[in-house]
Amino acid sequence: MAALVASIYRGISYRGAEGQWAWILHRASGLGIVLFLYMHIVSIFIAAIGPEPYEWVHKVLYTSPPAKVMEVFLLFGVLYHAANGMRIIIIDFFPVLGKYQRTIVRIELALVVLVLVPAAIITLNGVF
Amino acid sequence: MAFSSSSRPIKGKLRYGGTNHEHKIWLFMRLSGLVMFVTVVFHLLYMHMFVRVENITFDNIAERWSGPAGVFWRLFDASLLFIGMAHGMNGARFSINDYVHNKILNLMLTGLVYGVGALLILAGSLAIILGAGGLGRLLGIG
Repeated sequence: MAALVASIYRGISYRGAEGQWAWILHRASGLGIVLFLYMHIVSIFIAAIGPEPYEWVHKVLYTSPPAKVMEVFLLFGVLYHAANGMRIIIIDFFPVLGKYQRTIVRIELALVVLVLVPAAIITLNGVF
Repeated sequence: MAFSSSSRPIKGKLRYGGTNHEHKIWLFMRLSGLVMFVTVVFHLLYMHMFVRVENITFDNIAERWSGPAGVFWRLFDASLLFIGMAHGMNGARFSINDYVHNKILNLMLTGLVYGVGALLILAGSLAIILGAGGLGRLLGIG
């Protein structure tokens, strides 16, 4: 536990610029997605029982206002993890590009925002 | 080496150029990531931007999972389940190994992630195989 706290503190206080933040966000989004995935499978399993359990799950866990706000975090998490994972794969297989990794992080974030903004507007439409 | 890390494994001097277990896992994370870059991003944007979560009803799912096209969508959903869980549970294992250095606690947390994960893979597979409402019909409830 102390190692965890110390590691998180070092992770935030270490001034590693783009690469450091890309790594922290990759880990945080990955763990968040795993938590969502566990919940998602349980809820789909409940929904597979019949129309009434489905309606309940759909209303409470997927379309209630707090769920819609969480959905935007999910959109960001998956889009970021996918884009950053792609950067990791590209740099792992073409190490020469490591020289431009800061620029690649910025390009990747721009692409994530480009897809996230319309997706978030569609998701939150009618919630507030 | 007792604990692995999510970075590319360093090959030992004696086995330079060869492969080991963690090297295979490193490759699996890249290959499954590439597959999911297509399948999961499609699933996410299709369900959230084009269909919208509000419009996904019990009947929609029953319809999408029926007929010859239904076989494709069930296999697609199964691929999301299996590849996603394998990639996700392994990523959780990387994180546990990076932070939890107490051997007993490490084993307990890893066991929890994989134990609950195995039950969920079973539950998800049942839902896909039996179809919408299939489990309720089988158990006489729902």
